[in-house]
Amino acid sequence: MVKGQMKIQQMAVMIVAVFFFFILVGLFFLGIVFKDVEGSAEDLQRAQAISSLGVIADMPELNFDSGESMTLDEDKLRIMSGEFGEDYDLFWPVASIGVYKVYPRFDEVEECPGTNCNYYEIYNPSGHENLQAGDGGYRDVKTYSAYVAICEKVRESGSTYDDCEVGKLVVGVRG
Amino acid sequence: MANCKKGQQEIVGFVLIVVLVVVGLMVFLVVSLRDSPVNEDSVVVGNVLDAVMKHTTECAIVYEPDYDNFEDLFKSCYLGDRCKNLEVSACDYLNESLSSVVGDLMASDASVGFYELDFFVSDGEGLLRISDGNCSGSISAAQRKIISGSDSLVIRMKICLA
Repeated sequence: MVKGQMKIQQMAVMIVAVFFFFILVGLFFLGIVFKDVEGSAEDLQRAQAISSLGVIADMPELNFDSGESMTLDEDKLRIMSGEFGEDYDLFWPVASIGVYKVYPRFDEVEECPGTNCNYYEIYNPSGHENLQAGDGGYRDVKTYSAYVAICEKVRESGSTYDDCEVGKLVVGVRG
Repeated sequence: MANCKKGQQEIVGFVLIVVLVVVGLMVFLVVSLRDSPVNEDSVVVGNVLDAVMKHTTECAIVYEPDYDNFEDLFKSCYLGDRCKNLEVSACDYLNESLSSVVGDLMASDASVGFYELDFFVSDGEGLLRISDGNCSGSISAAQRKIISGSDSLVIRMKICLA
């Protein structure tokens, strides 16, 4: 009788162990599958953000050449980041717009206009700190960024040419 | 004798279970450690490449101020031209300036752990490779083609997002 009970206990423990083993394997497998799904979702979100930023970058108020996408006119940035830009407060469909020059690399943000400046604040009615991609400034503002070319017409030795630099367009959207 | 046989059977059963568990663990270890698939047509990396290609360099092949942007400089390098104003070959200047620009660009983005930029003739030899960092996440890639005469040049970039 006691031996029979022992056998039943052994079998029960074994069944429970096998059950937990397969549960763990299943969880492990699901983890791997959903890790890929999470990565794909992040990629899609980034792609969608860049596409949306393209709409802002291609607006005539900022665009350098209507034939070129994601190319900003530095002269327009100078104007829009000055007093003239305040008239556009009701125009922008977002919470904030800023443009950084990312090359050469900088340690401190120097707002334009100014010597060796690297940041144009186009629109920021809340007046929060310089927009850095990801930090959001305010809790309810989420920022998205995309690389753009910042171009201007430069006259040198009697000829005019397009001088372009790599920049980053950072747009804040209320969440 | 019967007890001994029964004991042997139990040992065989136990060993079988252990082998099954080990094989199962090995399979899932291999699955989890396999290389993450590369996203070959990433919008994010394409955006970086497009911005870099438009960047104006200080290299003028014919006269100043007709400076090449990186797209033109890739072609000039392939054709073996020289930067007339800087007295260096276009390829040397391309290597130096592209490393600097892409390096600074990637350094400004904390989510980038590794990058690699290849410049090669389509179905041909590699002309330039720039890379830095270590990858511990998923790799995204994109490429752009430039036509130079009858040849097609490819610029491919891979970025590892942490």
